[in-house]
Amino acid sequence: MTKVKLGITLYSFTREYVSGEYTFEDCIRRCAEIGVDGYELVATQMIPSYPYISEEFLGQVNRYAAEYGVRPVSYGANTDRGMRFDRDLTDDELFARTVTDIKSAHKMGCKVMRAQYLLSPKNLVRIAPYGEAYNVKVGIEIHNPETPSTPKMLEYLEAIEKSGSKYIGFVPDFGCFADKPNVDSYYGALERGANKELLDYAVQLKYDDVPMPEAQKLLLEKNADPQVMASFFNMYGFLTFNKNPDFEGLKKIMPYCFHFHGKFHFMKEDGNEMSIPYDKILPIIDEAGFDGYIVSEYENHVSGQAFEMVKKHIEMERRILGIK
Amino acid sequence: MGLVMKLKFTDILRDGTLRNYYVDGQKLGFQFDVRLGYYRGHFLSVIDELSVEVDGEKADADDITFCLNGKEFGIVELKHQFSEFWNIITPATIKVHKPGGLTAGEHDVRLTLMLHSPYMPLPGAKEEHSYTPIDSCDQKIMALAD
Repeated sequence: MTKVKLGITLYSFTREYVSGEYTFEDCIRRCAEIGVDGYELVATQMIPSYPYISEEFLGQVNRYAAEYGVRPVSYGANTDRGMRFDRDLTDDELFARTVTDIKSAHKMGCKVMRAQYLLSPKNLVRIAPYGEAYNVKVGIEIHNPETPSTPKMLEYLEAIEKSGSKYIGFVPDFGCFADKPNVDSYYGALERGANKELLDYAVQLKYDDVPMPEAQKLLLEKNADPQVMASFFNMYGFLTFNKNPDFEGLKKIMPYCFHFHGKFHFMKEDGNEMSIPYDKILPIIDEAGFDGYIVSEYENHVSGQAFEMVKKHIEMERRILGIK
Repeated sequence: MGLVMKLKFTDILRDGTLRNYYVDGQKLGFQFDVRLGYYRGHFLSVIDELSVEVDGEKADADDITFCLNGKEFGIVELKHQFSEFWNIITPATIKVHKPGGLTAGEHDVRLTLMLHSPYMPLPGAKEEHSYTPIDSCDQKIMALAD
């Protein structure tokens, strides 16, 4: 029997929340309707008293938890290094902000906090005693174009291993294991008039791991249109994909993973995700004995299909993991 | 042209909010509400540019104030607001000092509002402290509510 638990990040309902279609309570009610018991929230998106937790907001969180049976399990912190106009925040200042976030995560009852890579490996280690004191595990998000084996993430791995702390680790985002182009980079681009032949060429260049400057030159030599080039930059950036995703890297960091972002963009008719191989990722996590949450993170906000897509996504994960 | 993010899940200029304001019984200017065009809230210190143009006339920066959380800031003060947080679902009010106010009827309102995303360094940026810009500009014909 799997120990993997399924949840939803309320970030999936970004369009609905920002446009006023859903309130904070509606987002939680939708999670209950899909049948999960835990949610993550992006603190800067949904906490009115950010970066603090007001009694009023805490009252809402607790009331909805009691009413809908869905509670916050993860606090999504932003590492806002560039928030000053004149200079970057120093490591000391980022440390202080992260401590504030840990206290807020604790107040909400979250046992996990997502931090971002602008929190340096050294600072992550420095934060560990605070995580332990407040019983909040702090994980660096591994987001496209990073993977568990890119140099930046290996630096964190070394620091985490050396620290010996159980309170610092990783929060991998499944987008970094994509093995096909993103729905918008491909089908969206075609709808917007991209030349199919050149778009396929761009995809092939990425599959063949042709370095970005060289690939860019090759495409421009063929007079690739702006739509193809926009997709090209996404395919080599935040929406990248690889013929051979970094599953070995994932296996290696599993002892330091306490939470996952189940990133997805489109659920196909056959019940699978379009560009991210969940059938290969989930067994790795399950077989490692992972005991924590995977939160569904839908990131095709403009579609207006968030609820239906998240519902299908949870169904897919249940099927693959054998959860009834 | 570098990377600029534009995420507009709702109107930035809010319908029905353009009106004149009165001080000591005199029309002293006009105001309207704006929302942040992004997916999360921000400290006001990430605002890089804010200007207002009505019917082709650009307001002097000295005459514009930004009101949020019960406070009112001049444009030059915004960059110092490291702890004043603008929630993604909370409207701010922009006031423009203009004795006599606006005439009744419709007005062409243009808002320039540029910010930067403080956790997203610009890909490939050479220098430090270079972050991805957010375009939260808007333009619309607004009817004066009073």
